[in-house]
Amino acid sequence: MSTEKVKEAIAKILPDVETVICWQGGFDAVHATPCFITKPDEIDKVIWNPLCAQNLTSYLPSLNKKKVGIVVKGCDSRTIIQYLQEGLIDREKVVIIGIPCTGVVSVKKVLKEIGQEPVLDASFSGSGGITVRTAKGEKALSVADVCPDKCRSCQYPTPLVYDHLVGDPITSDKPKESVYQDVREFEAKTLEERKAYWEKELGRCIRCYACRNACPMCICQDSCIAETREPHWISQKLSLQEKFMFHMIHALHLAGRCVECGECDRVCPMDIPVSKIKKKINAEMKELFNYETGVNPDDRPPMFTFNVDEVKIKEHKI
Amino acid sequence: MIDIKNPYLPELATVLQVIEETPNIKSFQVVFNDPEKMKGFAFQPGQVGQLSVFGAGESTFVINSPPTRMEYLQFSVMKAGEVTAAIHNLYPGDQVGIRAPLGNWFPYEEMKGRNILFIGGGIGLAPLRTLILFMLDNRSDYKDITIIYGARTPPDLCYKDELKEWEERSDVNLILTVDNEYPGWVKRTGFVPTVLKEVAPSPDDTVAITCGPPIMIKFVLEGLAQLKFKDEDIITTLEKRMKCGIGLCGRCNIGSKYVCKDGPVFSLAQLKEMPDEV
Amino acid sequence: MPDTGYLPKGKIKDFIKELAKDAIVYAPVLEGEAVVFGPFSEEQELCLERPANTPPKSVIYPQSETLFTFEHKKDPEDHQKMSVELKAGIDAPGTVIFGARPCDAKGFIIYDRVFINTDTPDPYYMKRRENTLIVTLSCAAPFSGCFCVAVGGSPASKEGADAMLTELPDGYLIEPVTEKGRAILNKPMIEDGSSRLKDAQQVQQKAHEAVKNPFAKGRPEISPELFDADPFWEQALSKCVSCGACTYLCPTCYCFNITDEQTFGKGERIRSWDACMFFHFTLEASTHNPRPTKFQRFKNRVGHKFVYYPEKYDGAIACCGCGRCIRYCPVSVDISEIVNDLGGGGQKQQTAGSAKND
Repeated sequence: MSTEKVKEAIAKILPDVETVICWQGGFDAVHATPCFITKPDEIDKVIWNPLCAQNLTSYLPSLNKKKVGIVVKGCDSRTIIQYLQEGLIDREKVVIIGIPCTGVVSVKKVLKEIGQEPVLDASFSGSGGITVRTAKGEKALSVADVCPDKCRSCQYPTPLVYDHLVGDPITSDKPKESVYQDVREFEAKTLEERKAYWEKELGRCIRCYACRNACPMCICQDSCIAETREPHWISQKLSLQEKFMFHMIHALHLAGRCVECGECDRVCPMDIPVSKIKKKINAEMKELFNYETGVNPDDRPPMFTFNVDEVKIKEHKI
Repeated sequence: MIDIKNPYLPELATVLQVIEETPNIKSFQVVFNDPEKMKGFAFQPGQVGQLSVFGAGESTFVINSPPTRMEYLQFSVMKAGEVTAAIHNLYPGDQVGIRAPLGNWFPYEEMKGRNILFIGGGIGLAPLRTLILFMLDNRSDYKDITIIYGARTPPDLCYKDELKEWEERSDVNLILTVDNEYPGWVKRTGFVPTVLKEVAPSPDDTVAITCGPPIMIKFVLEGLAQLKFKDEDIITTLEKRMKCGIGLCGRCNIGSKYVCKDGPVFSLAQLKEMPDEV
Repeated sequence: MPDTGYLPKGKIKDFIKELAKDAIVYAPVLEGEAVVFGPFSEEQELCLERPANTPPKSVIYPQSETLFTFEHKKDPEDHQKMSVELKAGIDAPGTVIFGARPCDAKGFIIYDRVFINTDTPDPYYMKRRENTLIVTLSCAAPFSGCFCVAVGGSPASKEGADAMLTELPDGYLIEPVTEKGRAILNKPMIEDGSSRLKDAQQVQQKAHEAVKNPFAKGRPEISPELFDADPFWEQALSKCVSCGACTYLCPTCYCFNITDEQTFGKGERIRSWDACMFFHFTLEASTHNPRPTKFQRFKNRVGHKFVYYPEKYDGAIACCGCGRCIRYCPVSVDISEIVNDLGGGGQKQQTAGSAKND
């Protein structure tokens, strides 16, 4: 699916909506950035390529009074479905252009491959290759090597909800078990190893809340428990204890809601693998409630329901 | 390094008396624990202080008593959030912290020999009271003093005893109002900006000083403009969320001015040169 | 003592250990894929090849610190009588910041005006500042997003440093800037650098010329009409997610919060970093918020760095052009692009009709 076809689709829906949220080139050759198109002459700057990593759906709830258009990849579409399950957006107010996706690149991984040199140019071959040029020369990489972990286990490359599909649908070639493989491998470590791991990783956290604000499902934002004093659960003291508290509460708020879009990992400036915590909880939710986030608009998130006797929770035995 | 004063460390003080002004406003009279500090304390009408309840936090209030009456310092507090709720739980004998005086003050020197018009709403009378009492204690320095003061209902009027005193004085013209008719209230009714229009005070040689809820200030400023008051002759005192109180933490700024340091007292002429962000 | 020193590359860890004999040395180390300033120890991997993710500002201005502790006490003779005891202490051990970039050092100059040059100086900042030696490393080449030359800086600027290192093929030239900095040339592994000064100056010049200037006018120039145009900000900042990454990673941002924490009769008053990008920053107890939208908050942030701070301090700009806010922004908001657009020049003009308001 070429950039031209995406631009055509946007041009087609633009008259019916107030704005179309899509991507344009960012501040350098290896970054894309969200773009809000309101006029036809702005469509020229739209891009579609493996740099388009941002999950644009996070803007939808706050824009829900207006009719907007949006471009989504497969993983992004799961957020829309989750929003529909939770009543956070009105389906009538969103016009969705879906693009089947073969993976995006992780800027962190690209930079690691090229020794952190500033990228002067990036070009893409149709067959999953990316060539980056720096002051030290060119390097050819494959998207499959520098994609974020979520792409390695992607089950839904084709958007699950859309009004217009740009390109032919793709089915996933990744085994279902691969989704939580990293979680299960991590669980095999001892408790001491896991504790040491998280103390090291979360010790770097600067509580910038980039992960929280970039998360499409995190809706407390301006009244976040991490910043409020009514109730006063987390202090402003920078300590491991407070950081753990924030991340655990955030992950629990996302139990059965996190759509595994990977934005939290992507935006963390301190390279902390925060999505692991949420994936762990999601893996447990799958076990306990046989529930997968963001695939069926008629589903109800398990934390929104209550059964006196849950099939897989044997409380009487505790 | 020479040891410099720690501007974040409050001075300890004790609550002497708590007065219930209205259902949600109390006045607190405090004295510093150190009698030397109390004796040596000097401030100007309009300056503010940070009142601490250790464990809850600090909040900014105007020093509500004038420098001409220094048996204690008074702060009037409306219960609104965590710190003010903790302050409302204070009783005589309780310990508080004070960082004062902070900010600038009413330019009373330039007001000498002129007519003074006070326009206040609700707890907005608190900073005005400091200046009113100061002026009454130096009465001959000022010409006519007019006070237009209103609240939502009669129980919401602050300093009820003093209002009675001021009403009875022949050298003060006090005009009280409440928003709507109220059982037992026989004086005028109407919002403060409306009463201002009705009273239509003359701008000649008059300084207008106003304080109250943002919406009241907005309409009062419009009314004063219509009455042809000059921008330099309209003074107000602003409220902002404050933390350090000394112009460092960057929170209370309007453009390049810090409300805690370059204010809270500003003239309308000054406000017009600042971004529109009240 | 010669005027310049030279540190062979192989001796760099020894040099840091030497400095660590009578100070805590903070150097950029690799943790995961992030480079952070931490107290240096042998096991850590020193990383000088790229600017650190976080600036070293937390060394002199920590992210959270105790201003004082308080303890409620009952009078043993009269239980009705309560008193409070306050204890303030300032922790300011001898410290060295090693390997900061010139943009990082400029941040401290910007803080000095706020925290020191005032009639209510901040003793916590002042003590730590006095006890810290700053050894910078000039940049060999600009990093992605860098624009220091456009805001009065340079990849080889000595402003704010006590001594500056410049990387050469086999070692580092050390140029002292202050007397405090000159003292490090004494260390045993430092050789005479005078023969290498010229090479270093060539490296510095090359780096300076390589930094891109994003401002069409060469300097940030803000048009008051555009600055006050709401549609401009709504168009430019629709994508902002209102987190605090830009603020916390910025070497020149310094806004802070003061909060009390207590348990059972004793506690502490803490000063911690805060960000004007958060909704609660100016939220008043009455629930009125002077800056309720992210557009107004970002406008205030740009205003503070490029208009208000210069107004107060003789035109000094409170931005060092390090580019971290651009690199680490979740949606790549580019402050240099916005400031350039505010100057009206160079890029596509923002027209008043390009955003639809509620």
